[in-house]
Amino acid sequence: MAEKKTKKEPAAKKETKKAAAKAAAPATAAPAASPEKALGKDARVGVYICHCGTNIAGSVDIPAVQEYVKTLPNVAHVDNYQYMCSTPGQKKIEDDIKEHKLTGIVVAACSPRLHEPTFRTATKTGGLNPFRFEMANIREQGSWVHMHDREGATSKAKDAIRIAVAKASLLQDLVPKSVPVEKAAMVVGAGVAGMQAALDLANAGIKTYLIEKNPTIGGRMSQLDKTFPTLDCSQCILTPKMVDVGRNPNIELMTYAEVAEVEGYIGNFDVTIRRKARGVLTPAEAEAKGIVGGGCNGCGDCDAVCPVIKPNPFEMGMKPRKAIYIYHPQVVPLIYTVDFDSCVKCGLCVEACGDKKAIDLEMKDELVKVKVGTAVLALGYEMFPIEKKEEWGYKKYENVVNSLEFERLICASGPTGGHLVRPSDGKTPMKVAFLLCAGSRDNTGVGKPYCSRFCCMYSLKHAHQIIEKIPGCQPYLFYMDIRSFGKMYEEFYYRIQDEGAKFMRGRVANVLEDPVTKNLIINAEDTLLNRPINLEVDMVVLAAAVQPSEDTDRTRKLFGVSKSMDGWLLEAHPKLNPCGTTTAGVFLAGVCQGPKDIPDTVASAEGAASAASIPIHMGEVELEPYFAQCIEEKCAGCGMCVNLCPYQALSLVEKDGRKVMQVTEAKCKGCGTCGGFCPGGAIWMQHFATPQIVAQIDAFLLGGEQ
Amino acid sequence: MREYAFFLGCIAPNRYPGAESASYKTAEKLGIKLLDLEGASCCPAPGAFGSIDLNVWYAMAARNLVLAEQMKKDIALICNGCYKSIWEVNHKLKHHKELREGVNEVLKGIDMEFKGTIDVWHLAELFYDPAIVGVQKIRDSVKVPLTGTRIAVHYGCHLMKPRKERHFGTTEHPTWMEEMVAALGAEPVEYRNKMLCCGAGGGVRGYDLVHSLDITNEKMINLMEAKVDALTEVCPFCQLQFDRGQIEIQEKFGVSYNLPVLHYCELLGLAQGMTPQELALDLHGISCEPFLKKVL
Amino acid sequence: MAEKEWKPQILGIICNWCSYAGADLAGSARTQYPPDIRIVRVMCTGRVDPLFIMKAFIDGADGVLVSGCHFGDCHYLEGNYKAAKRMFILKSLLKNIGLEDKRLRMTFVSASEGAKWAVVVKDVVDTVTSLGPSPLKEFGH
Repeated sequence: MAEKKTKKEPAAKKETKKAAAKAAAPATAAPAASPEKALGKDARVGVYICHCGTNIAGSVDIPAVQEYVKTLPNVAHVDNYQYMCSTPGQKKIEDDIKEHKLTGIVVAACSPRLHEPTFRTATKTGGLNPFRFEMANIREQGSWVHMHDREGATSKAKDAIRIAVAKASLLQDLVPKSVPVEKAAMVVGAGVAGMQAALDLANAGIKTYLIEKNPTIGGRMSQLDKTFPTLDCSQCILTPKMVDVGRNPNIELMTYAEVAEVEGYIGNFDVTIRRKARGVLTPAEAEAKGIVGGGCNGCGDCDAVCPVIKPNPFEMGMKPRKAIYIYHPQVVPLIYTVDFDSCVKCGLCVEACGDKKAIDLEMKDELVKVKVGTAVLALGYEMFPIEKKEEWGYKKYENVVNSLEFERLICASGPTGGHLVRPSDGKTPMKVAFLLCAGSRDNTGVGKPYCSRFCCMYSLKHAHQIIEKIPGCQPYLFYMDIRSFGKMYEEFYYRIQDEGAKFMRGRVANVLEDPVTKNLIINAEDTLLNRPINLEVDMVVLAAAVQPSEDTDRTRKLFGVSKSMDGWLLEAHPKLNPCGTTTAGVFLAGVCQGPKDIPDTVASAEGAASAASIPIHMGEVELEPYFAQCIEEKCAGCGMCVNLCPYQALSLVEKDGRKVMQVTEAKCKGCGTCGGFCPGGAIWMQHFATPQIVAQIDAFLLGGEQ
Repeated sequence: MREYAFFLGCIAPNRYPGAESASYKTAEKLGIKLLDLEGASCCPAPGAFGSIDLNVWYAMAARNLVLAEQMKKDIALICNGCYKSIWEVNHKLKHHKELREGVNEVLKGIDMEFKGTIDVWHLAELFYDPAIVGVQKIRDSVKVPLTGTRIAVHYGCHLMKPRKERHFGTTEHPTWMEEMVAALGAEPVEYRNKMLCCGAGGGVRGYDLVHSLDITNEKMINLMEAKVDALTEVCPFCQLQFDRGQIEIQEKFGVSYNLPVLHYCELLGLAQGMTPQELALDLHGISCEPFLKKVL
Repeated sequence: MAEKEWKPQILGIICNWCSYAGADLAGSARTQYPPDIRIVRVMCTGRVDPLFIMKAFIDGADGVLVSGCHFGDCHYLEGNYKAAKRMFILKSLLKNIGLEDKRLRMTFVSASEGAKWAVVVKDVVDTVTSLGPSPLKEFGH
C-alpha cells in the first residue's frame, strides 16, 4: 500500500486554466503533496465517435460533433466510425494509441454498462492502462431519447464528450485486484430450479449448500399432479431428482433454514444461515450427541400420537397434519418437523419415539456460517391472493378454488385421493369453468400487469384431466388468448379442443353464487360471437396469477439484487445475461426472475449453475479497483468516515505520532460514501476522485460553446 | 349535534316525500341535524346530464357544492344518483386543477367560485360510521323492532362504484347495510346477484324502459326466490324503479310481485316509531300493507 | 429574444446501479424526454460530496439532479440514505444563501424504471425552466 501511494504522488502541483473556477470552491483545490497533482499533465486524449449505424448518426450530427471535439483542450486525435465496437473500430483505438501517443481514450457511443469492458480491452491492447478509458453515452442517454430533436441531441453529445474528455485527461493507471474464489457455492431455494442448479454445481465438483425454507425440498412442482404437455406425473419425475439431491456427497442440504445475513463479495461471500428449530434430530445429529442408532427415521410413531391438528399447507390446507409432521410421504429429507407455533409440548411424541430420542422439544434456532464463492437464488413463486379480485368470489364462494388447490384435488395422492369433488358438498362436479388470466394481464391496479405464462397450459391440462377422469364432465375455458408457445404446446391445445373442452374468449365479468345450490353463475362476454354468456356451473377454477414468493424481497436485499417493476428479480441483461445480476457472483434461477414453466425453469437453473461455476473454476476474479485511498497529508484523523463505511473497510491507525485513516482494500467496494463526506477532502476515490468529478462539472458548465 | 347541508335531490321530494321527512326525523334522533340547502338545483342526474354534456354536469353540480361551501357545511344526501354527481364532481374538482379552473370560469357568470372546502356524504354512510352514528346507536334508537321480517338490501351502483374512486372497500360483497338492517331487528337476506343494477340508472330507464324493466325483473325473480318481505335501498331512483317498476312490469310482462320497497330512512323511521302516515307510505306504488302487518 | 431561447443547464449526478441503468432503459425503450440535462456517473449517490453541487451552482448550473436507488435497494446497502440526508441539509443551506431549493432535487429511480426516469427529467427541466436562470450565474462568469 505504501508503494502504491508513492507512485501516485510525484511532481509538483500545477493548476490548469480552471484555476479561477477551482478557487471558487476551496475544498476541491488540492493542497500540496496529494495524489491529484500529477493528473492531467500533458494529457493527450483520443476521441472516437460511433455512428452505431443510424442509431446515433440518425439523431446526432456526427461531422459537427467531430469538428467541435477537435477544439477541445487535451484532445490529440478525433475519429468516427460506423461501429466502434467492431473489430476495425477497436483496431483504430489500438493503432492510434501508439501513433498519436495518446494518454487517454474516449469513445462516444452507447452506455458504458454495455461496452466499457470492450473498449477497456482495446485500450489495454493498444498499450495503455485499461482504466485510461472513459465513455460518453450518446446513444441510450442521447440519440435514443431525443430522436426527433437533432439539435438537442447533437448539443448534448458535444457536452457529453467534453465532460468525458475532462475526465479522461485526469485518469490514472489502476490495477485491478485479484482475489481467490472459495470453491463452494450456495443455492437458495430447493424447488425444481434450486435442485437442478445444486445438482449441476455438485456434479461439476463444487461443494454446494442448498438452503430451503420448508421442511422438505421439491417446491411447487411436487404439489402438481401432471405436467403439460407430456402428462408425465409430476411427482414421478421429480422424486428421483429429490433423492439425488439428498444423496449427492457434494450437496449439503439445509432444509427448514433461511439466509440470515450475507457479507463479502464475489469469491468470498460469508453467509449466515438460520437453521430454524425443527425439534427433531437427524440420525447424524443424534450420533453427534452420542445417541447410538438414534435420530428420526421417519417412522411416524410421533405423528400417530400427536393430539394437535392443523391444516397442511402442502395440501393447500385441505388435509390435516399434526403439530409434528411431514408434508407428504416422499419428503427429502425424511425427517419430521415440530411446528412450535401449535405444539402444546405434551410430550406424547417424545414417549412414542422412545430410544431413538429424535425429538427435542426445547430445540432453538441455530446460526451457521458458511463461506461460498458464488450464489444462485431460486426463490420461486406463490399464488397471487386472488380474493383481491372480488368479482370472482374466491374465499367467498366455497366452490371457487384456485388452480393449485385444483392440482391437489385432482392428484391421486391429494386429500381426496384424486377424486375431484366440490368443496361445498363433496359431489362430483359435472360442469367446471376455468377462468384464465385471473389476476394476470390486469391493468386495474388490483392484479398483475404481466402474463403469468404457464396458466394457459396448465388450464388445458386441467381440462384434459377432468374429461379423462369424470365421464361426461364438461370443462369451459374462459380465456383472453391461449398462449401455447412451447414445444408441442400448440399441438396439445388442439388435442384438448378435440377432446371437447369448450373455449370462450372473454374475461369473466363476475361470478355469482346461487345461495341454495352453491352452484356458480358466470357472467361474461363471448367476444368472438359478440354476445353475453350466462352460464351456471358446479365449480370454478381460477388460474390465478403468480407473484414472487413471500421471502423474495428480504432475501434479495441480503444479496444486493434489484427487482423489476413487477417485483420479480432483475437480471443483469434481459437477453444476454438473463441469469446474472448486477451483484457479481449472484445468479438467478427459475421463476424468481419471472414466470416460467418447468422446462424453462430447469433450463434457466442449468444456465445459472453454469454461470455460477465459472468464477469457481477460474479460481480467482478481478475486482474493479475503485477503492478509497487516504490522502494522509489531509487526513485529520477525525474518524467520521470509519462509521460511515457500510463494510467496515476503514479504520484509524497510528502513523508518525498521529491518527490517520487506513483502508482495507479487500473490504472496500468503492461506493465512495466516505469520499462524499470527508470534511477535509482527504479521501481519494480511485477512478471517481474529486478532481476528476469536479473537472467533469467544470467542463460541462464552464467549458462549453459560449 | 352535527350539522349538514341536506341536499334533497328531485325524486324524494316529488315521488317519495316520506323518504324526505324520514331523513330529517331519523337523523335528528341519531344526533344529525339536516339543514335546508337553499337554492339547490337538480344534482344534476349523472346519466341524463353526464352522458350528454359533462361540462354542464360539472358546472351544475359545482353550483350546488358552492351553496354548501357558503354555508360552511358538509353535504349529506339520500340518493345514489345525487351521490354520484355531487360527491364525484367535488372529488374531481378538488383533484384536477384544470377542470376546476374551467368550471370556475363558468361559475364566474353567477359570481360563484368553487373552493373545495367541504366534503359530501351519503346519509347512510354517516349512519354506519361509528365515529358519527354507528350501528349501536341505530339499535339503541329502535322503538318498534322489525322482528320476524326478512329484508333484502339493494346497495345501488352509483354509491359503490367505481371502486377506485369510492371508499367503501369491497364493491362485490358489501355487508354494511345488512348490519344496519339487522340493527332494526329484521333479518337481512342474501339473494342471488345482489349487486345487480336496479335497471334504471345511467339514463337506461329514460332511453329504453323495457330494457330497464328486464333488469328489474331479473332482480325481482331473485328476490322472490329468497322469500323476502321487503326490499330496502338508499336511493329514491332505485326505489322508483323497484316500486313503480313492478307496476310497469305487470303491464308489460304480465307478472306481479307486490314486494314492498322502502328507503332505509323509511324503514328506520318505522323502527323508531314513526307512523306509516308520517312516512307517506300510502304514496308508494306497491302497497306496504303486508309488510306493515308483520311489523306493527 | 435571447431570454426566449434560454435553456436551463442542469447537472445530473446519478448512481451506476439504479438511476444510470434506469436512464439506459429509457433509452432502449426510446422514451423521449427533454435534452437539457448532462450526466456525471458515480458508483453510488453516497459519493456525492455536497461541494460538487455547490461547485455546479457556482459554475452557473440552473439545477442539479441527484438520483439513486430506492431506499433499501442501494447496491452498497445505504449510500442513498446518506446522500438523501446530505441533500436535505444542503437544500436548507441553499435557501439561506438565497437560492431556490427547488433547483436541487434528489430522486430515486431504479434500474427498471426507465419511464420514471423520463418523467423525473421532464419534471426537473420544467421546474428549473419555470424558476428561470440561476441568480448565481453572474458570479460564476
